[in-house]
Amino acid sequence: MLRFLLRRTLGAALILLLISAFTFFMFFAIPQDPAMLACGKNCTPDALDIIHKNLGLDDPVPVQYWNFLVGIFAGRDFAVGHCDAPCFGVSFSTQEMVWDTIVDRFPLTLSLTVGGLIVFLFVGLGTGLLAAAKRGTWLDKGASSVSLVLSSMQIYFLGPVVLGAFVYDTGWLDKPKYVPFSENLGEWFMGLLIPWLVMSVIFTANYTRMSRSTMIEQLQEEHVRAARAKGMRKNYVFFRYAWRGSLIPIVTILGMDISALLGGGMVTELTFGLSGIGRLAIDSVLNKDLPLTMGVMLVSAAFIIALNIIVDALYAVIDPRVRLS
Amino acid sequence: MSIIRSRTAQAAVVAATAGALVLTGCSDGGGSAKDKSKSKKDAAAQSVAVKLGTAADSKGPAAEVPGAKTGGTMKVYNATDFSHLDPGQIYVSDAGMLGKLLFRGLTTNKEDAKGNQTVVGDIATDSGQTTDGGKTWKYTLKDGIKDENGHVIDSADVRHSVERLYDPFITDGPSYLQQWLSGSGTTYRKAYAGPFKGKHLPDSVLETPDKKTVIFKFKTAQPDLPQALAMVGYSVVPKETDTKEKYDKKPVAVGPYKIGEYKPGKGMKLVRNENWDPKTDAMRHAYVDGFDIEYNHNDDDQTKTLLADRGDAKDAVMFTGQVSTSQLQKVVGNAAAMKRTIQGYAPYVWQMNFNLDRIKDKKIRDAITLAMPATAVYKADGGAYGGEVANSLMSPTTPGYDEKLDPFNRAKNPNGDIEAAKKLIEEAGAKGKKITYAHGSEQMRQEQAVLIEDALRKIGLNPQKKQVDSATFYEQVGKIKNKYDIYMTGWGQDWASGATVFPPLFDGTQIQDGSSNYSHLNDEHVNKEIVRIQKITDPKKAATAWHELNEYIMTEINPAAPIYYTKVFQIAGSNVGGLRYSTTTSYTDVTQVYLKK
Repeated sequence: MLRFLLRRTLGAALILLLISAFTFFMFFAIPQDPAMLACGKNCTPDALDIIHKNLGLDDPVPVQYWNFLVGIFAGRDFAVGHCDAPCFGVSFSTQEMVWDTIVDRFPLTLSLTVGGLIVFLFVGLGTGLLAAAKRGTWLDKGASSVSLVLSSMQIYFLGPVVLGAFVYDTGWLDKPKYVPFSENLGEWFMGLLIPWLVMSVIFTANYTRMSRSTMIEQLQEEHVRAARAKGMRKNYVFFRYAWRGSLIPIVTILGMDISALLGGGMVTELTFGLSGIGRLAIDSVLNKDLPLTMGVMLVSAAFIIALNIIVDALYAVIDPRVRLS
Repeated sequence: MSIIRSRTAQAAVVAATAGALVLTGCSDGGGSAKDKSKSKKDAAAQSVAVKLGTAADSKGPAAEVPGAKTGGTMKVYNATDFSHLDPGQIYVSDAGMLGKLLFRGLTTNKEDAKGNQTVVGDIATDSGQTTDGGKTWKYTLKDGIKDENGHVIDSADVRHSVERLYDPFITDGPSYLQQWLSGSGTTYRKAYAGPFKGKHLPDSVLETPDKKTVIFKFKTAQPDLPQALAMVGYSVVPKETDTKEKYDKKPVAVGPYKIGEYKPGKGMKLVRNENWDPKTDAMRHAYVDGFDIEYNHNDDDQTKTLLADRGDAKDAVMFTGQVSTSQLQKVVGNAAAMKRTIQGYAPYVWQMNFNLDRIKDKKIRDAITLAMPATAVYKADGGAYGGEVANSLMSPTTPGYDEKLDPFNRAKNPNGDIEAAKKLIEEAGAKGKKITYAHGSEQMRQEQAVLIEDALRKIGLNPQKKQVDSATFYEQVGKIKNKYDIYMTGWGQDWASGATVFPPLFDGTQIQDGSSNYSHLNDEHVNKEIVRIQKITDPKKAATAWHELNEYIMTEINPAAPIYYTKVFQIAGSNVGGLRYSTTTSYTDVTQVYLKK
């Protein structure tokens, strides 16, 4: 396990380095001076020079990139002040330290994605297992039909519909907002309930169908039927033998869905007016804010890679035949 | 001022107009959705020249708002973060409204219950004293004006606040004062580079003989100085705590509130500035304990939330948000909700600029002007509650406006005269001519572009739409060598005078990248007239002269086709008291509001 983690961590570092280099050099291929965006309507050459200096845009691009990399580990000095490690620079558009901005926004995105993940896994797997257990009944057919409809839904369509129905018109649910977990658990939960439900809908449908079909497959397996023939209780066999086996393809899909989940989180933030990493990513690209774009890209990539490593490690837990090393 | 889309926002520049309060609140009792929007008549009442207040007018505290209560936190929904917090960089509406709560200048606009404005002394004892027709203006500072740190504001702070505007890092914000003191266009920057290297403006320009006195000295009379100084962009920045570029994120408050918490891109909390003394302030109230400003709420979201009126929304106001087009009928048709709305005639004129370097034939310009589907275009921007067809380049809120001046017969053909335009295109031999039309990327601008493209095609032209990212739209069309033939921009007066409309839009001596002379008009007669009219000290004579110049520009040159005037329609929560339209900011008057419970 330790060797596996070490190998994956080194691989992740290389991937992050490649992403950072690609993003950095691509940015300078844009035929627009980022300083122009920070310069106002009465922009003068003197003002531009000051902005270039303040943003560290005077140096050649490779030097800027090197300074950026060094800054991550050693910190840097800017006109607006010292930037402690891990330093991702100073935002062109807000003049704030990028790392501080990310740290401020990340809890919301983490709450949103992890909460959404828990909701769709719980609802999706639960419904799928129930449908498999009641195969052929109205419950099975209903769950399959509903999941088929829901899988064609989009967050940006469903979000406003849910808001209209449950917030603006009836007031049954709170308008989405983010209150930190540590501040008020109840408000944190109620504030993110609608985004979780809406975001999880599109994923839930897939997991319902997937868990149903893999479970039905598993229930036909010889080792499961042998266990039943030995007189083991139905529920014991269902969860101990069949369910565990059915999880392997689901975990594979989950690994692939993690980046989609982050993308879904971005759309969810925009739909519900939440200010997390997703909105920050969009704003940074629109504002051609390189340090902010780099920071968001690298943190998001690290988050996706970390979750994938966790998912891969789960294989060994679920299936004893899998050896990580 | 231009309706500028700042870093991430489309924001209208702070307007100062004079006139009548235009609260709606009224309902016909039946909750019908008939048109109860404001008209040009309401705007005409706003075009009264601003009165200059006396020392008595400038004394605080401000007259109590009937029934007002103290306490609570007011919620504010806003689409985006504020583009600037440094007052010297503020020239857009939402930041301007925030500035009214945080900052104070030498003068400010005080509004009465009918919305009539008087320029009064803010940190100064009066609106200014002049004995030579406006060439020299003297201001005396009030006692006991302190910033949030307890520092007593003196003349050195005022001097510094003016001088820092010359420094290269100040690239936004108004430039009237700098230009009047040291040269037009950007030449003022060559005259002086700012105070940060220890040099001051000479006493022949700006004199501070003692701690309480500030004297401005101009080469030519500047009768509008009191109005200009009332702009948030000329608020005081205490010298000792000026951090230059960093000030844009952590400004020092002199007004009734200070920044308690600021999270760029997310929101801001304002708390009371304990060092603000209401006895020194003739204009502001501070009924609520603070403001909780939340970003990332577009007009649609703001409207739905405020209309639903639940939870926090009961205590909420919009800053520059407006009732969204999609929710218009729901609001107008709801008598109870209408009591929580305000309306006003904003000073902005949307005009289709002709790039005169590219469209040199006046017949083509006239044809395009005749063809403009003005009604359809403004309906895409909020319908009757969002605008009205424009007959001229002057807004009804500007002194000198005349509804009868209608060279393109908008009264008869508000949605364009295709046949007449077609005829002109044929006469000009321009059938099939390619016309590149640049427009912003917001959905509404895209919708308008489709309507305009269709009209241009109908008259025989070959329109080519070019969508430009709204974040950089004004920067792109503001380039002299832009590659577009036509583009629509918005402009509104900074105070009730043509002096804040025609010079920025049509003065040929100001043409440069980033200038607001979007049509690149450089006409000798127009340039001379601008210089002449700016010297007229009688407001009535000046208004007539601006009207005549407006007529000349439209009929003889036609550098820009007037499309539509704008109106403001906002809604607030049911627990908000003191709700009124501000003729100074063109939006909710945030200096008057309180929470009922």
